[in-house]
Amino acid sequence: MKTPVSVLRLPRGPDPNSRGFDPNSPRFLALCPTTLSSSSSSGAVDEEEQRLRSDLRERFLRTLLLMTDKQVEFNMHEKVRVRARFGASDIDVLNFQVSGLETPLGVQKEALLRCQDVISCSFEL
Amino acid sequence: MAMRQTPLTCSGHTRPVVDLAFSGITPYGYFLISACKDGKPMLRQGDTGDWIGTFLGHKGAVWGATLNKEATKAATAAADFTAKVWDAVTGDEVLTLAHKHIVKSVNFTQDSNFLLTGGNDKVLRIYDLIKPEADPQEIAGHTSAIKKALWCNNDQQILSAADDKTIRLWDKNTQEAVHTLSFDASVTSMEYIPDGEILVITYGRTIAFYNAHSLDLIKTVDAPASIHSASLHPEKDFFVAGGDDFKLYKYDYTTKEEMESYKGHFGPIHTVRFSPDGELYASGSEDGTLRLWQTAVGKTYGLWKCVLPEELSSENSEVLYCPPAEIKA
Repeated sequence: MKTPVSVLRLPRGPDPNSRGFDPNSPRFLALCPTTLSSSSSSGAVDEEEQRLRSDLRERFLRTLLLMTDKQVEFNMHEKVRVRARFGASDIDVLNFQVSGLETPLGVQKEALLRCQDVISCSFEL
Repeated sequence: MAMRQTPLTCSGHTRPVVDLAFSGITPYGYFLISACKDGKPMLRQGDTGDWIGTFLGHKGAVWGATLNKEATKAATAAADFTAKVWDAVTGDEVLTLAHKHIVKSVNFTQDSNFLLTGGNDKVLRIYDLIKPEADPQEIAGHTSAIKKALWCNNDQQILSAADDKTIRLWDKNTQEAVHTLSFDASVTSMEYIPDGEILVITYGRTIAFYNAHSLDLIKTVDAPASIHSASLHPEKDFFVAGGDDFKLYKYDYTTKEEMESYKGHFGPIHTVRFSPDGELYASGSEDGTLRLWQTAVGKTYGLWKCVLPEELSSENSEVLYCPPAEIKA
């Protein structure tokens, strides 16, 4: 049985929050000197924007937590409005797991709602 | 002591990887670009596979991607009927070139001043990147969709492979076909090696090598399965090929003998290329991953570390990651 070659680590994957091209990488700094000054002056603006983004994200996640086990009305495309008990969201907010989904065809005991079809949702606190 | 190859899996794409290209060797190393049906081509550091950035903008599957020699520019060909030129340092989109149909292939000249495109409208186009508003030079002749178009012979000629089962060599100035090769099957891939003027073509289960000037056949090698892509090592001692059976094959170029085959991908291999220094080769697959493979298995290079038997059991091995039998993508 041959020994497998050892590796220091696995290749780094994409950052889910950005498109990459780190402006602080040696290559960027060497090849794009004209953008250096603009990025340092807008540094403060970027920090403020990041803070706001973090705040919004935290509010969104807390809203999802509050929604758990509550009756929620979902406003969806094609003028679809349905009510269900919200269970959970998946990590990428692609699907919502719901129970007792009230549809024109009857009540679906367990269902997944595709998030990209949801325009808005509302619930009582 | 013989060691088992540990491929490095680069994840991030969510659909099949259909094309990949390396840059030349730059003061910052070399780079790799991957074209994916998810519409988001990615730039990676060539020797480690580390993600650097994603080029965002295409609205359809990206079928072809390339970098210029210095890795300062990238070009992509997509199903949204456009080819795009990007700044490969900032990731910004620099130019969008509208076409009349799906674009499949893009290639820069050595000086990065001209971009060659080819696709489903069967016409080769040459764009002057210094005057991008000007109409491109057009070369017609193929009777079906163009799969791949490459500059060759000092950027004076163009090689194109199409679904009409021909490969044609064109003179850029006269716009005429100087040579035509006809095949019984569709050509699945084409690679041009400027140093040595060799053309590597795959079709069916065959990997064929031609002289890029005369289009004379040098040799052919048959593989155990249908091959989608092959690449010749810069020193022309080996070539690698991959296709339908998910395996990567390594052959001795001189003797044509199969030396090794590697399993690892979970889907057919669509593209494989050697790095510019020949130390590794990268493969892109239907399974949505890119994998990096060592040419000299066990050598210290990039993320691979040569470990002597005493080191493996010593206290100092905590920096090393010894992969289990199966590495998941």
